[in-house]
Amino acid sequence: MLNALASLFLPGLGQFLAGRRTRGLALFGVIAVMLGLIIWAVTPAVGGAEADITFKGNPANWRWLIVPTLLWLWNIWDAASPRPVLIPVIAALIMFYVMGWQATEIDLEALAKNFDRALIILRPMFRPDFLQPKADRLEAWVELEVPCSPTPPAGANTLVGTSLSLSAGCASVGETLTLTAGGLWPDSDAELVWQSPIGDFFALREPGTTQPVITRTDSTGRLATRFVVPKAIPPGIDPNLPQNQRLYVRQSKVTGGYELSTNGFFVLKGIYETIALALMATTLGTLFAIPISFLAARNLMSANALTLGMYVVVRTLLNIVRSIESLIIAIVFVVIVGLGPFAGMLALALHTIAALAKLYSEVIEGIDPGPIEAIRATGATWLQVARYGVVPQIVPPFTAFTIYRWDINVRASTIIGFVGGGGIGFFLVQWINLGDFRAVSASFIAILVVVMAMDVFSARVRERLI
Amino acid sequence: MLEVQHLHKVYPNGTVALTDVNFTVNDGEFLVIIGLSGSGKSTLLRCINRLIDPTAGKILWDGVDVTTAPAGELRRIRRQIGMVFQQFNLVKRSSVLTNVLAGRLGYANPYLSLLGIWPPAERERAQRALTRVGIADKAASRADALSGGQQQRVGIARALMQEPKLILADEPVASLDPVLAHSILQYLEQLNREEKITVICSLHFLDLVHRYATRVVALKDGQVVFTGLPQEIDRARFKEIYGEEAIEVRAGMAES
Repeated sequence: MLNALASLFLPGLGQFLAGRRTRGLALFGVIAVMLGLIIWAVTPAVGGAEADITFKGNPANWRWLIVPTLLWLWNIWDAASPRPVLIPVIAALIMFYVMGWQATEIDLEALAKNFDRALIILRPMFRPDFLQPKADRLEAWVELEVPCSPTPPAGANTLVGTSLSLSAGCASVGETLTLTAGGLWPDSDAELVWQSPIGDFFALREPGTTQPVITRTDSTGRLATRFVVPKAIPPGIDPNLPQNQRLYVRQSKVTGGYELSTNGFFVLKGIYETIALALMATTLGTLFAIPISFLAARNLMSANALTLGMYVVVRTLLNIVRSIESLIIAIVFVVIVGLGPFAGMLALALHTIAALAKLYSEVIEGIDPGPIEAIRATGATWLQVARYGVVPQIVPPFTAFTIYRWDINVRASTIIGFVGGGGIGFFLVQWINLGDFRAVSASFIAILVVVMAMDVFSARVRERLI
Repeated sequence: MLEVQHLHKVYPNGTVALTDVNFTVNDGEFLVIIGLSGSGKSTLLRCINRLIDPTAGKILWDGVDVTTAPAGELRRIRRQIGMVFQQFNLVKRSSVLTNVLAGRLGYANPYLSLLGIWPPAERERAQRALTRVGIADKAASRADALSGGQQQRVGIARALMQEPKLILADEPVASLDPVLAHSILQYLEQLNREEKITVICSLHFLDLVHRYATRVVALKDGQVVFTGLPQEIDRARFKEIYGEEAIEVRAGMAES
């Protein structure tokens, strides 16, 4: 009865006094967490930063008070005489799961309703941008100024047998100009492409449509067409500032066969960079991991207090470095050495050192002292003992672990490019941002092929070594 | 001739392994060391070729003190002393041939051996050693692909490569079944009789001691409690060596 009274004032106290300490502490903890969670849930977010979230700051969350209240009552009952714990556990779980569901902002409606948006991404992904039909290409351009300054360019340009001229060397956005060109391929289509002041290309569209402006040359290779000056200045730049822009005329003739597209070339370059940077990182990591692994092997370092202290320090450092995701190490190295594969390589190498040193040290700890003793007994020198007693025991597992690590590093380096660490990930993240999903799909395929090949290769080699 | 004089061994953790051990082994003997586990048999054998450094005392091998021999001298002594182990102590991942060749390291050119290059003559010697122990066809196998009895034969072939004057065998048959135990000990006996190689061997089973030993040294708690012929170990001596509770167990004989 006294215990029940104690639990009325402080949940779990009665159980605790009765010697059921775990249950007492658990009851107190669960009820405290529930109350804390409810108070947090009904308090409006500071500064309205989370105002769009329906869960936080919703007074309806007060209704959850029923659960800790019932639990409190059950706790008094339990303090008087022990009760089975199943029903309060289920009640607590229901509360935590429902609140967790709301906090995660699970919105199944959005998943169902907007699924067709995925098609915008998926459709181009079925046509990976890797190869393109082989074609001869002809390109000519002319410079003009938008808007006009007192000294506009000439509005005419002659290069490799072509000549382009505009009705004016400058114009404002929305004005219509006339282009006359000569020296192009006769009787074939020509595409008009605009280059913005920051170097982006985009095809000129027919006004009010998404059709690119395509014109045809006559039998003498001449064309004349009218076009509307597009708005090409990126937001944030003063549109009244005169800027030089270019109009390109492009023609292409399919000649049969296929060639690497521009993006295909970057996919190959990226995947090569990825494999190379993984190889460099693995090699560098291995070179440093071997000496460190000896310091991290307990059987070698337990001789006296000093070496044992070194062992503990080295082990701790390895564990810390290993627990930091290589992506985060890469961000640090990007700051130090700049964007590119070198930063990614350093990050992977650091992570590789920590991971391999631990694996190697476990191999060294597992070494069989018997053969070493036997080789010493034959009158061998120290080096001969190392060569015939130690090396055969550690080299095959070391090699197996190193190749496995290379395999891991190839996979990791595809991601490390996302933070500027070079390799295919570097191109991939840009294509995702640009919305070029044909190139994204080409790089996915390249990554898939390389990772699968590495997987098979490393499994084969390891099979032979172990 | 091997003379062990006032040999003491105390391990750094304070364990006393050997106390004032004295005995002499004449050339051509098959000396068997008996005693309970932990009585100091393994320590004694390892002191003889100094795999373990004794704390005090002398070990004279043909008049040269092993305990004070400098590194180079010690290696020359070691290469004349073959050693066979209970757990065979082969490099499991290496081939049988490489394991046998390793027995020749004390004689080999230090640089070529580090590169793993062995002259054809040494390879033939290794093949002969393997033929001698009856496993010539296993030369290319990995050591751990062999059965226990075959592995111990590789261990003997490795010792043979040293052209030893003395073989130390540390419980060479304790990991093998009785039939294999006899076949291994018969190889050692054959070497002892035909090649006049002295054998010092520690054994567990008394019937094996009676069958193979020419002389017996018994250790108890690191001290010599008996030296003599195997026939002299009667019931009373047995109790003295192994304690009052002991009952004799036989390994069994392979032949009648």
